[in-house]
Amino acid sequence: MRPPLWLVLACLVPSVLALMPIAYVALRSIEAGTSGILQDLVRPYTLNLLVNTLTLSVSVTVCAGLIAVAAAWCTERCDLPGRPVWRLVVTLPLAIPAYVSSFAWASLGPWFQEMQGAILILTFYSVPLIYLPVCAALRGLDPNFEDVARSLGLSRSRSFLRVVLPQISPALGAGALLVASHMLAEFGALSFLRVETFTTAIYDQYTAEFNNNAAALLSGVLMLICLPVAFGEAAVRGRRRYARISRGSARLLTPIALGGFTPVVMLALALLAVASFVVPLVTLGFWVWQGSSTGRGIATVVPAMFTSLGYALPGAVLTTVLAIPLVVGSIQFRGWIARVSDRLPYLVHGLPGIVVALAGVFMSIRYLPEVYQSTTLVLLVYAVLFLPLAQSAVRASAELVPRELTDVARSLGKPPLAAFVLAMLPNLAPGIGAALALVALQLMRELTATLLLAPAGVVTLATEFWSYTSDRAYGAAAPFAAALVLISGVPVYLFTMRALRVVERP
Amino acid sequence: MHRNCRDADMTKLTRRALIHAGMGLAAAVAAPAGLARAQATPLILYNGQHRATTEALVAAFTKATGIKVTERNAESPELASQIIEEGARSPADVFFSEQSPPIASLAERGLLGQVDPATLKLIPDKFAARDGTWIGTSVRTRVLTYNKKLITPEQLPKSIMDVASPAYAGKIGYVKQDGFQEQVMAIVHIRGRPAALEWLKTLKANGRAYNGNRIASTAVENGEIAFALSNNYYWYSLAREKGAANLASALYSFPGDDAGNIFNVSAAGMLKTSRNQETAQRFLAFMLSQEGQVAMADTTAEYPVISGVTSPFELAPLSAFTAPVSPADMGSASDAYSLEREAGLI
Repeated sequence: MRPPLWLVLACLVPSVLALMPIAYVALRSIEAGTSGILQDLVRPYTLNLLVNTLTLSVSVTVCAGLIAVAAAWCTERCDLPGRPVWRLVVTLPLAIPAYVSSFAWASLGPWFQEMQGAILILTFYSVPLIYLPVCAALRGLDPNFEDVARSLGLSRSRSFLRVVLPQISPALGAGALLVASHMLAEFGALSFLRVETFTTAIYDQYTAEFNNNAAALLSGVLMLICLPVAFGEAAVRGRRRYARISRGSARLLTPIALGGFTPVVMLALALLAVASFVVPLVTLGFWVWQGSSTGRGIATVVPAMFTSLGYALPGAVLTTVLAIPLVVGSIQFRGWIARVSDRLPYLVHGLPGIVVALAGVFMSIRYLPEVYQSTTLVLLVYAVLFLPLAQSAVRASAELVPRELTDVARSLGKPPLAAFVLAMLPNLAPGIGAALALVALQLMRELTATLLLAPAGVVTLATEFWSYTSDRAYGAAAPFAAALVLISGVPVYLFTMRALRVVERP
Repeated sequence: MHRNCRDADMTKLTRRALIHAGMGLAAAVAAPAGLARAQATPLILYNGQHRATTEALVAAFTKATGIKVTERNAESPELASQIIEEGARSPADVFFSEQSPPIASLAERGLLGQVDPATLKLIPDKFAARDGTWIGTSVRTRVLTYNKKLITPEQLPKSIMDVASPAYAGKIGYVKQDGFQEQVMAIVHIRGRPAALEWLKTLKANGRAYNGNRIASTAVENGEIAFALSNNYYWYSLAREKGAANLASALYSFPGDDAGNIFNVSAAGMLKTSRNQETAQRFLAFMLSQEGQVAMADTTAEYPVISGVTSPFELAPLSAFTAPVSPADMGSASDAYSLEREAGLI
């Protein structure tokens, strides 16, 4: 079946946007290649970067995946007391920007730096990104499948591996993809932790050599690394269908008794919260208590908060609106164009923020000078940076909608767009809500694109935090970080509630 | 603490007297103000210098001339990269860089215009670009920051060449940005290229790399590492935040005419494509005026570049820094990068 025209057009916009940084990197890399920098790439130093980048990305994704699935299993399927509280506890780290938590941890000593520290800290940070979709998937499972597996003689662990795991694998895969590609691009946290990856080396190229071409060449390599990540997840998901027409069994799942393990699980979850939430907050408190700059700029906290929201909310709406057609197109129409356009943004997600921001400079000043350093441009670049977050969230809902729904609407005489709006869109609501919250959360802490591309004089919580910490005015910086954590709590809470919307049944 | 505050006030008072004395120059700079005041379009400033410093400077400029300044703040290298991508269409009039290499890289690409010769004359040649495309606006020195509990000044290396010797393995921290290139270039000048390469290799083998002077000096303060190569003002900004008496770290300079005793500058220049060149030149001139220098000196522990203005911070006399290489010699320090490449540092 051919996709309708409106969908093709709607997919074109985000695809063109995502292609811009790719084109920029390609252009600059070609320039670099012809000027002989290519040989520079083949050195032990680059190999070292490759090893570090892959070690970090794979380790964090695997560790966060294991912790997230275990935590999701305990809070969803077991008789852990106070489960709603524990769910929030596991998701709280989302409210802390990675650069704040890594600063806090790195100041505890050298053990928490370098690769082991980076893996540890970024794992804590990444757990919620996998935990939430996995929780949602676990809740949606039909217990019948497990009953059948058990009645056929499979043990509990074997039925988990053969029945439960395949069903939560799309959610697990989507979360893992986000974490893996995010780790490729992470910079702020790593700079405190003394780990060198492709992304930090790209920053080095900009900061030490002012060599945009050499930096682009490294970015090109980074995109190649991202390629198998982006398409691999689609392969894991495969062509399986997850949508069901029937509501399935109405029987409720009986929670599994944890028995003697209850205190162990509670202790582990509490430790997770302390590590990822309490340590950074205590550090902020320490700054305020110790700093002579405490109180400086305090009057800007509230206006900066409103500016942060003023950019993050429209940015989240735009990003989500652009993400919907990509997801719908790739699920309902299996052509290669739909698949590639759905994957393009994931490639870009693995690029460092500075590269995407400079691509925005390059493209806008040449082809759209009217929007240069305007709100429009910065919102568009935000979308390029964070489309995949919205896509993953929307996909989680869209996978569950039978495509026949739109067909039915069409057969009742509705034109394609109306059929989509009437039959499909309402079913995407939970995913859209989650996408808005998640993207808004990331946008509030975005720094590089905001500094280079927002209209002059725009002051957000993130820019103020950066500004004061680079003057070492930690006491003055702390309230901005605290405000960031505080307003991040709102989307985190909404996101958690959205993702886990199924009401706790008695 | 209280005593320090009073001292600062005292210095301010004496400086105020100095300003009065230097009013003549200030008046000369502000002379065409009356004309421009009515129609002047705001100056667009890309600022990579510490924001508090630039804000003080801009406030003084606007007060003196009535001209508004629109600031875009980011890290200097990011802004340099941005200007390179913007090319001829850059909206920026003036670029104020925390270090000289980013602005020198713009000069090498032909993106900067000439600074007014009268402005260039206000500072010694060693603080400005050879081709007259940028001016140094304040000076900072390269130093060792050391942790007093981990090492004594007697135990510290006597020369920059010894900092990475096996005796200091695991004790020395270094930062590959912001001042490091200049350090490498100074060693090249004095000891030659092979010695500089060898130095970089031992540094890689025996030293610990940090991703920023701020992070390295915090690591020294926290006792993670005994000492680190850094710029002087990071210690001062920490001292201001926590109180000097509470710090575990201190500053150290090599004795005598060592290649390690060098200075760097913050620098500013006008974009060749600026559509507001007259105002841009006035801003550059103002940066080197008595008022401009005082405004900057009050906010950061750097040395003013014109005589007659002193820093309120207790800085070691600049005369101790017999730098063999000046920022003017440095350019964008591109040879330092090829050496760092050869040594496997970048």
